[in-house]
Amino acid sequence: MTKGRIAALSREYEAVYIFDSALEDAAINDKIARHHGLLGATGEITLDHWGRRQLAYKIGTRETGYYVIARFTADGKALPEFERSLKLDDGVVRYLISVHEHELGAPPMTEEQLAARRRGDDDDDDED
Amino acid sequence: MRRQKKTCPITEAGIRFVDYKDERFLARFITDNGKILPSRLSGVDARHQRQLAKAIKKARYLALLPYTRGHQP
Repeated sequence: MTKGRIAALSREYEAVYIFDSALEDAAINDKIARHHGLLGATGEITLDHWGRRQLAYKIGTRETGYYVIARFTADGKALPEFERSLKLDDGVVRYLISVHEHELGAPPMTEEQLAARRRGDDDDDDED
Repeated sequence: MRRQKKTCPITEAGIRFVDYKDERFLARFITDNGKILPSRLSGVDARHQRQLAKAIKKARYLALLPYTRGHQP
């Protein structure tokens, strides 16, 4: 697989943001909308607000943070710009973007890949 | 004498993928000081131990779990 094809893959990602708990809810929603605007996400973005909670350890001087979990499908190319804006945002104490791993194994294959695989399997069809 | 074989508590719970956001569940697999419990003590199978280690490290980064409890006053 060429590098270009990997970068163009659209995947389901999960991001966790820890916002400064001193921010108001409206400001937090504003920031989330602004950052997600950079993604050009295909499909819906599901948000799960955990709200303010105690941090397991102090981050700087902060002892609490406002947690938000977002799940979205986006092109890998859009991620660096998205990540940069999060990094520069002072209201974001910490963030983690990861591929949404809900099941074991590789991401689901496309119809094309499945067809190619079926063709390949015809040769050694001696399973029980 | 043969030691009785431990069964994996994660497999038994029917969990296919260890979630890094579930800190209550992960907290069962760390010591009082915050270290990851070795599988020889917890009985977790190798595949789940790998998932667990990654999940605990992510949860630590997100301040859901402590890196250590040694520094608290």
